[in-house]
Parts: sequence; structure tokens; C-alpha cells
Amino acid sequence: MVGTNANDLELKERLELIESMLAEGRRTTKRWSWTIVLWGVAFYVAIGWSSGMLGGPIWGQHYMAWPVTMIGTWLLTWGLFRRMRSGAKAPMTTVGRAMMSIWTAMGISMFALLLPMGLSGRGDQQVYVAVVTSLLGTANAASGLLLKWKAQFACAVVWWLASAASLFGTVTQSTIAFLVAIFLCQIVFGIYAMVLEARDRRASGAVHA
Amino acid sequence: MPELPDLNPVVHGKLRLALLTLLMGVDEAEFTWLREKTGASDGNLGAQLLKLEEAGYVSVEKKFVQRKPQSLYRMTETGRVALSEYVAALKQLLGNAAI
Repeated sequence: MVGTNANDLELKERLELIESMLAEGRRTTKRWSWTIVLWGVAFYVAIGWSSGMLGGPIWGQHYMAWPVTMIGTWLLTWGLFRRMRSGAKAPMTTVGRAMMSIWTAMGISMFALLLPMGLSGRGDQQVYVAVVTSLLGTANAASGLLLKWKAQFACAVVWWLASAASLFGTVTQSTIAFLVAIFLCQIVFGIYAMVLEARDRRASGAVHA
Repeated sequence: MPELPDLNPVVHGKLRLALLTLLMGVDEAEFTWLREKTGASDGNLGAQLLKLEEAGYVSVEKKFVQRKPQSLYRMTETGRVALSEYVAALKQLLGNAAI
């Protein structure tokens, strides 16, 4: 029965196997950090386009900047995700589904709020920035809490600070707060997440059960 | 002294335990993904999955995708309960062994 060392070892081995398989299953959710950088670049393109910093005939349509960039980036993200998933044959995990739900809900909220705001003309640039950064803060906080990832929760705090700064500052200060938050929370954090992912992939080998 | 629980022999098998744990965290999984994660051979993996299927712990859906056969495995509610009870029993046994 249980009293012998051999049996104890076998039971401990089973417990370790459960832990390692749980970790192995979770690994399939972790190839998404490139989307953080992609969306950071998309935000910069949209800001550059809408502010007239990008030249050329297409870039001249400033009012199209945000809808076109956001819808285009969403389609690109969806297409690349599908391609990556079908290539690796990785199943959808519970955590993966939860993460996808958070970011999909955030994206729908953004469109549902910002598009009518833009069409109705209610709300100025500072309010726009405050809404966008606040929603990004909410999604990052939810993801950070779900994954127990302090770095992502710190990003949520940066987004919320940018949201508050946008409402209290001038238009220029609001833009600067937005640009800084994008750089820290999308570009820097995204690259950091990609490095962690790459390290994790290198560390993981075949599990022989 | 409280009676020690018995471990479910179907779940206790090393590969079967690995498979149930993997399936617990996903909606469904392909045979090839399970093989990749466990490092088991096709024959052994198929045999252990069949035992789990016969016990009612997993269900399988076989279909063709782009003319290639695909087996999708899902954990059933019975399997979920069996694994939860196994983990609880394992923890109790290890607790009694004073680790």
C-alpha cells in the first residue's frame, strides 16, 4: 500500500506528471504576443494617417484612418491566427478562449462606441483618446489578472493613467500621453512578451509519459 | 484513522493520466497533437485512448479534413469527474504519507 517509499515515489511522480501536462497544455495559448506589437504599429499608422503626417493620395483621406487601419489590422490578426493554428494543429484551451473573449469584447466595445461617436460628432480628440486608452486598460487588466502576469497589469495602469492625463491635459499633451502609452504597452511590452515566448519554446521539449 | 482511498486504475496509468490532464485544458485535441505532447507511439497512444473511450472518459469524433482522416478527442463529464476524484485521492494519499 502507501507506506513504502516506492509507492510514495510513484504517487509523487503521478502528481508531477499532472503538473507538467497542465503546463504543456497551456503552452498552446502562448503564441499571441506578436499581436501586441502589430496593434502598436497599427495605432501609430492610424495616428500618423489621421494627423496628416503620412503623405500621398490614399493617405489624404484622414477620416478613413482609424476605421480602415483598425478593420485591416483585425482582419490581418484573424487571418494570421487561423494560419498559425491550422499549421500547428494546436487546440483551443480554456485560457485561450478566455483571452480571446476579453479582447474580442474589447474590440467590439471600441467599434460600438467610437464609430457612433465619430459619426455623431459628439466627443473631441481628448475624449477619443481617453475612451481608447481606458478600454485598453480594462482588457490588459483582465488579461493580466487571468494570466497572473504583473507586467501586463502594469500596462493596464499605464493605459488608465494615459486616459486620465488625456482628459486633464491639452490636445498635444493628450496625444503625447497616447503615443508614450502605445510605445510602453504595445511595442516594449510586446517585444518583451515575444522574448519570453521564444525562451519558453526553446525550453520546452518532448514530454515522454 | 480514516480509510485511505483507492486510486482509479483506469486513470492511474501513466499515459492515460497524461492524456486526461491534457484533454482537461482544451476543448478538443487531435490525435497528432496528443502524440506530440506525450511522445508516445501511435500504437500505444491509440490503445490507451481506446481504454479511456471504453471507460466513458473521452469521446472521439472521426472525420476527413481535406481527404485526410482526423480523430478529435474530447474529455467527457464522466472523465472530468474521474480525474478530479483521482487528484483528490492522490493528494490524500500523499498527505497521509507525510511528504
